[in-house]
Amino acid sequence: MKSIFKAALAALGLSAMAGGGLAADWTPPGPIKLMIAFRAGGGADTQARLIAEDLEAKTGWKFIPEQVTGKGGMNLAMAIKDEPNDGSVIGMVVTETLGYNMKVANAGVTPEDYTAITTTAGFQMGIVSTADKGWDSFDDMIAASKEAPLRFGVMSPKLADIAYLLGEAQNAQFNIVQVRGGKAVLNGVNAGDMDVGFMAGIQSKGVAAGDLVNLASALSEPLKQTPDAPTLADLGVPFDADGYFLMIGPGGMPTEARDALAAAIGEVITTDGMKSNGMINKAFGGAAVIAGDDAQALVEGSFAAAGQLLEAASE
Amino acid sequence: MGWLYYVWLGILAVFQGPELLTVFGLPIPMTLAMVAAGFLLGIAVGSTPGLAGPMAMAIALPILISVFGFSPDALLPVFGFLIGIMKGATLGGAVPAILFNTPGTPDAYMTTLDGYPMTQNGQAKKALRVAHFSSASGDTFSDIVLIVCAPFLAVLVERYLDLPEKTALLILSLAFIASVIGGSVGKGLISLGLGLIAAYVGTGEDFYPRLSLGTETLAQGFPIAAVVLGVLIVGEVFKSLEDLWTEARYRRTPQETPQSGDQSLHWADMRRLFPYVARSAVIGTMIGALPGIGSTLAATLGYTTGRARHAKSGASPRFGKGAAEGIAATEAANSSVSGANLIPVLSLGIPGNAAAVFLILAADTIGGFNPGPSVFRFTADTVNPELVIAFGLFTCMMIANLLNWTIGGAFMRSMGFMSRIPKQLLLPVVLLLTLSSIYVQETRMEAIWFTVGFGVLGYIMRRLGISPLPFVIAFILGGKLEETGRQAFAATGGDAFFLLNSPVAALFVALSAIVILLSLRKPKEHRS
Repeated sequence: MKSIFKAALAALGLSAMAGGGLAADWTPPGPIKLMIAFRAGGGADTQARLIAEDLEAKTGWKFIPEQVTGKGGMNLAMAIKDEPNDGSVIGMVVTETLGYNMKVANAGVTPEDYTAITTTAGFQMGIVSTADKGWDSFDDMIAASKEAPLRFGVMSPKLADIAYLLGEAQNAQFNIVQVRGGKAVLNGVNAGDMDVGFMAGIQSKGVAAGDLVNLASALSEPLKQTPDAPTLADLGVPFDADGYFLMIGPGGMPTEARDALAAAIGEVITTDGMKSNGMINKAFGGAAVIAGDDAQALVEGSFAAAGQLLEAASE
Repeated sequence: MGWLYYVWLGILAVFQGPELLTVFGLPIPMTLAMVAAGFLLGIAVGSTPGLAGPMAMAIALPILISVFGFSPDALLPVFGFLIGIMKGATLGGAVPAILFNTPGTPDAYMTTLDGYPMTQNGQAKKALRVAHFSSASGDTFSDIVLIVCAPFLAVLVERYLDLPEKTALLILSLAFIASVIGGSVGKGLISLGLGLIAAYVGTGEDFYPRLSLGTETLAQGFPIAAVVLGVLIVGEVFKSLEDLWTEARYRRTPQETPQSGDQSLHWADMRRLFPYVARSAVIGTMIGALPGIGSTLAATLGYTTGRARHAKSGASPRFGKGAAEGIAATEAANSSVSGANLIPVLSLGIPGNAAAVFLILAADTIGGFNPGPSVFRFTADTVNPELVIAFGLFTCMMIANLLNWTIGGAFMRSMGFMSRIPKQLLLPVVLLLTLSSIYVQETRMEAIWFTVGFGVLGYIMRRLGISPLPFVIAFILGGKLEETGRQAFAATGGDAFFLLNSPVAALFVALSAIVILLSLRKPKEHRS
């Protein structure tokens, strides 16, 4: 009886492997635990939960969202590392988690220990001040910083390094204040606790209303909303704050599981009428899907680049 | 967009929010139903000796969150329910105090002094009516003060306090809380220090976890619900279980006294009681606005002030012999604390009592609402959703007051039977509910072990006469203190003396030292 059962199981396994080429054939072995590296209720958390909701509606898979916050996603990275890699546990972080943060944490892990599934959206990272400051351009801000040091709000150590290098390149005086999350930078800039800060898309409403100004793009390319603002490269900083929200899994996830998850996520966030699609369009300026091997290459590249940024910032 | 517009949006958020069900084509808003349910539950809880408002709030919170989820839509129904419990429990505490000489909540102790004699004189119903009238008046007054003051205070703080001053203000609040809560400043500071240590496990700006002893379990820090519920609720359950064990030898069964005479509360009575209610409401509101001083002190002060006044007038019966004025003075004072207690919560993000702790916990868990000065930003052309929630919260409070005035009295008078529930059944149920509700929220077994561990800590603290409240408040404010301190340090360009270089910050720091020194010197009679 036992051997029959084993044979049946083997047959089932074989047929599963045979169908592996078609991602749509893959189904998760049970409910999928979705770890979220962001505070409950924020934009990033909402995005992750809406994606899970859309996937449940579309594919019938079941998701159990769980908050694993802190340490720039490193808590999640350490927690997910030893989970089963059959697609039943995934996590949402940012590319910076597997890049700069993992490099600095020096916790004995590298991006090779994880499976990058897909990115979902990019950051429209700008250097933003309130319109009340009266700065029309980045140069106005630099001029102001020569008179008295400016408070520069950042939400991660990587951005703090970039702000430092920007100050060096522009010969400006910045007091760099690190806070938790883009919302805190926005609040700080609005309340006058900071003069200027990095914001990764949260500024779009305020910029459209004329309350906030995108003084520069912190990306390798111009901002969609303010294409005339200079990029970091224009300002003499050879690094950028390009980044994406990223779904990851434990290392060595079978390709068919990874591709099925990536395809399903990619589909819901790019389909009109899906809740996550609407939210991503509104909050992050549209979906940005980099999946599978490309996503893996992206994080491995940013892990390697983190070393150069660290070196430059500690000179 | 003026403030009136926001008031309107707040009211709409309550009435046009998600619907519970539709009765005869009339939609019943979820928030409204939750306020009513919380309020009635609160009265029942308050009427039960051994249970208290914070206990019910603690157990309800994880269950509510698992029902309503983490969306901003969940905020008002959850807040509404919690506020309902808070208000109901204050009212309900008077029931067993008057009927059976057992205060249902600690702050109702003074109510027994005149309430129970009135029952013995056959005037129980009237005593309950006096308690209801005074409690509802005090509560409503306090809420009005909150609604008027909190926004202005928050705007002032946001406009005039910079990062160093905000850090100093947090230090001042913590110093104040450590000095005024509990039996001694030393014990208060111990409690505070332990809370800060617990808050700093696993947190911080660095990518490697702090104080985690190298384990993954501690790397994420202690879950806030496990700490707060462990120390406040599980610790209390452990202590009550032990008290039951030692007291098991003698057990009283509540006796019923035959009731007679005129039981209704007339206009003339109300006019006579009004000065007592008004004076106590002002006392309670002022005490409530200071973080850390609880409703027990307010009740004591209200009662003693009322007694002095009453003795001067020479009216009879005297306080302690069944004077309705005694009930009025106590109940108005302890009920007017709860509303004003939210002034520091909403304008500064600093909780002053256990009920406020649970409101902050709810906001923190659900997200989308961060109690503090940034809530009251009256933005010009975009709607500030947090401000809408704040005014929704005020609307919930006013609805609860309306319920209090209309159905609260009758419901309260029917709750006498709750004091017959035996504690030996009640406490295990509370323990089980607390542990399961934590598991519902945290879904990992470590959370349960943490809760039990902090429960033991809470038990030990209670046994040693150390109040657990400074611990909990320090745990909640610890992260904020570190964050603001770091930011202030960075923003001032790495100035190590940022706390002393601005006059306002230096003043706050000096006041912190003075508060502690004064409390050390002066022996206090009344402490909450």
